Amino acid sequence: MKKLSTVFVLIAVSLMFLTGPVMAKDTVVIYTSLENEEVVEYIKQAKVELPDLSIEAIRLSTGELGARMLAEKNNPQADLVWGWAVTNMEEFVPKKMIKPYKPAGWDKIPAHFKDPNGYWTAIDLYAAAFVVNEKVMEQKKLPVPKGWNDLLNPIYKDMLIMPNPASSGTGFLQVASLLEMLDPDYKSKPVEDNKAWDFLKQLDKNMGQYIKSGSKPAKLTAAGEYGIGCSFAFVYASLKKKGFPVIMVLPEEGAGFELEANALLEGAKHEAAAKKFLDWAISKSAMEGYAKFKLGVSYPGIQGPKDMPPLDTIKLAPMDFPWQSKNRAKILEVWSNLFLR
Amino acid sequence: MTDYTVSSARMEFDKFIIPTVTIFILALLFFFMMFPLWMILKLSFFEGGELALANFTLSNFKQYFTTAYTLRSLWHSLYVSGVTTVIVTIIIFFFAYALTRTTIANKTFFRNIIMLPLVAPSIVQALALIYLFGRNGLITSHLFQTDWNIYGATGIIVSEVLYCLPHAFVILFTTLSAVDIRLDEAAESLGASPFKVFTRITLPSAKYGIISAAALTFNLTITDFGNPVVIGGNYSVLATEIYAQVTNLYRFDLGATISIILLVPSLGAFMLNYYISRKSFSMISGAARPFIPPTRRLKKILYSVYCYLIAFSIIMIFTTVIIGSFVKVWPYDWTLTLAHYSFPSIGGYSAIWTSVWISLIVGVVGSFITLVAAYAMETRQPYFKQVVYFFSVMPAAIPGLVMGLGYILAFNKPYYWFYGTPWIIVINIVICNFTLGILSSVSNLKNIDPSIEEASISLGGDTLSTFFKIIFPLSRVAFIQNFTYFFMRSMTTISAVIFLVSATVHLAAIEIIMLDNDGWTASANAMCTCIIVIVFVMLGILHLVNKWAGKTPSTEMVSG
Repeated sequence: MKKLSTVFVLIAVSLMFLTGPVMAKDTVVIYTSLENEEVVEYIKQAKVELPDLSIEAIRLSTGELGARMLAEKNNPQADLVWGWAVTNMEEFVPKKMIKPYKPAGWDKIPAHFKDPNGYWTAIDLYAAAFVVNEKVMEQKKLPVPKGWNDLLNPIYKDMLIMPNPASSGTGFLQVASLLEMLDPDYKSKPVEDNKAWDFLKQLDKNMGQYIKSGSKPAKLTAAGEYGIGCSFAFVYASLKKKGFPVIMVLPEEGAGFELEANALLEGAKHEAAAKKFLDWAISKSAMEGYAKFKLGVSYPGIQGPKDMPPLDTIKLAPMDFPWQSKNRAKILEVWSNLFLR
Repeated sequence: MTDYTVSSARMEFDKFIIPTVTIFILALLFFFMMFPLWMILKLSFFEGGELALANFTLSNFKQYFTTAYTLRSLWHSLYVSGVTTVIVTIIIFFFAYALTRTTIANKTFFRNIIMLPLVAPSIVQALALIYLFGRNGLITSHLFQTDWNIYGATGIIVSEVLYCLPHAFVILFTTLSAVDIRLDEAAESLGASPFKVFTRITLPSAKYGIISAAALTFNLTITDFGNPVVIGGNYSVLATEIYAQVTNLYRFDLGATISIILLVPSLGAFMLNYYISRKSFSMISGAARPFIPPTRRLKKILYSVYCYLIAFSIIMIFTTVIIGSFVKVWPYDWTLTLAHYSFPSIGGYSAIWTSVWISLIVGVVGSFITLVAAYAMETRQPYFKQVVYFFSVMPAAIPGLVMGLGYILAFNKPYYWFYGTPWIIVINIVICNFTLGILSSVSNLKNIDPSIEEASISLGGDTLSTFFKIIFPLSRVAFIQNFTYFFMRSMTTISAVIFLVSATVHLAAIEIIMLDNDGWTASANAMCTCIIVIVFVMLGILHLVNKWAGKTPSTEMVSG
């Protein structure tokens, strides 16, 4: 019988751990697509600056997060979404999954970084970039490419890696920027007739792999698995800091970019706490935190990281967010049919 | 007089308790297994998942079978699983043969090493293979300087082979040790050549074991998610395609449809296994195992080398992952570092502790429920015995990812309070691994002499006290074994719970996938190493507990 009681004690103890300590603080449940590496730092800062909030967060890829929210539409588990691609956000506004909220300090954010009705407020802009492994290029005696067009050169066969646009926001913005740059009439014709698909088919011949996440191409390139990773700017900075033999190339045709925004979710269980967090998330001190990683933050007058070029010197692609988000499903369908093997 | 009434009331209570337990177990399985499956079936066949004749549609299936890239995942899955099955069955047959029919040395060592893959998530193989044979792998790129690499079908097959070895081994080892070796001897002494003995006696006598091991391997491979997602590259299989449809394109209906398509071969393999294993039990004779005649020298050397090669491959996988977690930049900079152990993720160490607590609970709840269910089923022969048995062993046929998707569809309602809490994960893992728990509890109960129980009842013990005072103490070794099994599964499972982790519950095994996804491969290795260490510590503790539990005299009453 002694052993039996041991078992019961074990169950009781486990129960205690499962129910967790009694919460004295207000809980806020956050969904985010910000990179793990950065978000760990931001949360540390948030915990200091918002001592009365207990922050529960999960980081998922842009697509995973969307699927999660969609599945939970009638029973939302999260209170807010933090740093999620605007293209995806725009898709969810008509689905009535996002509640308008203009956080404190909303007026300070420039108009092109926010939704006029307050559905979402962007915190930063992140741009597509190629991360090139110098060592690999040296070994294979290959020139460093300057832009997308250079990548079509057969000498780069199997040297390239890019994210799958279906699972990665970075992959999507790269494809979307090409669709919009290479075909000026993109708006007036069906997605499948866009001229850029021919370009992408050419590119496909050199592509070693389409991979799930947007930062992984850069990391695999840094590790020497590939020569050129189509990724985004801030991963480069963190890899460089770690001592990998990498350089960054912003495509000369124009770098595709995406805004990452915050929003309050419809049906949030802890609305007051969520609003408190959203206010903090666009405050100057939060933005200074983001600026340690991000190319450009939406708060005016904050400079990006030192080892990256200032935002105003970068040639950005003209991104058409309403068109992208309306056609997202179609673009992915065409892409999947063409390039998934 | 009073005594009589008490015991009659007791009898009434007894009549009541077994059906109650049986119904409880059935209800549990229906609600947490059949109901989620039903939701998946509904979503794949009915527009918007609304059950109505007008909504019936085959358009999802049509879309799956007419879209080239989705259909490809089916052929890929069948190809990869087929090849893996053939390789594993052949490798393990000779391995088990060497361990049961030859006199090679170090058998215990081999038996322990072959079980090693059980202590880690089914992703460890892929992680190690990339470090060794990836585009920048130690062996491919640095030793041989070749451009060949393992991504794709080859990588999936090699990692699945290494992952399935212990599972197939358990079956073939049992079969080969149970089949009477004297048959071989008789044939040999009658003048048959060794080749003839092997093909005419050894193989046919083990055929049920071979088919059963093959079916299990096929099932494990086709339902696995961890290895293909890491090493598959662009090579999609059914399990990864389900995940991709749901998370990339928000196509829950197509995800459900592919789940149904995946269920067909995995259910088929399971039914084959179920049918075969019932037959093969009758083949196992209780005859004492005769002494193995000394093996010829050359044969002995060959089999030893063979076993060492396999053991070496498994050890290499584990050492690669463990070393990979401690070096600065594999394979450029071999400086030792602990940097990868400060996990760049929200979950981090808290995910490990959550995993440990959940696994302890899963271990206790799982082994207790399966013991009670087995007891209700076996010893008391209730009316629904066959039904309960069938539903209890069915979870093994259902791919974890399908179960996970079913859980989201079924329980994501405000009134299911357990959704989004650790409880849904506990329930999911217990149900997904119900089969083995039940099987081992049943075989254990069969070993308990019914006369002990009869004695307890005739001395006035009721069902409850018989269970707690007789059956439970006598089953504690089996209980600890089951606890070990549930604990290990819970620490290492990926596919079932990837849809169920949340902002409040992070799990270590899922963190590995996430870390690897983001390109933090070394940290993924580090997290893997943490899981392996924890499982080993637990195995050590349980080994001690087992020794202590086994020492008490009561186990001597267990016959057989």
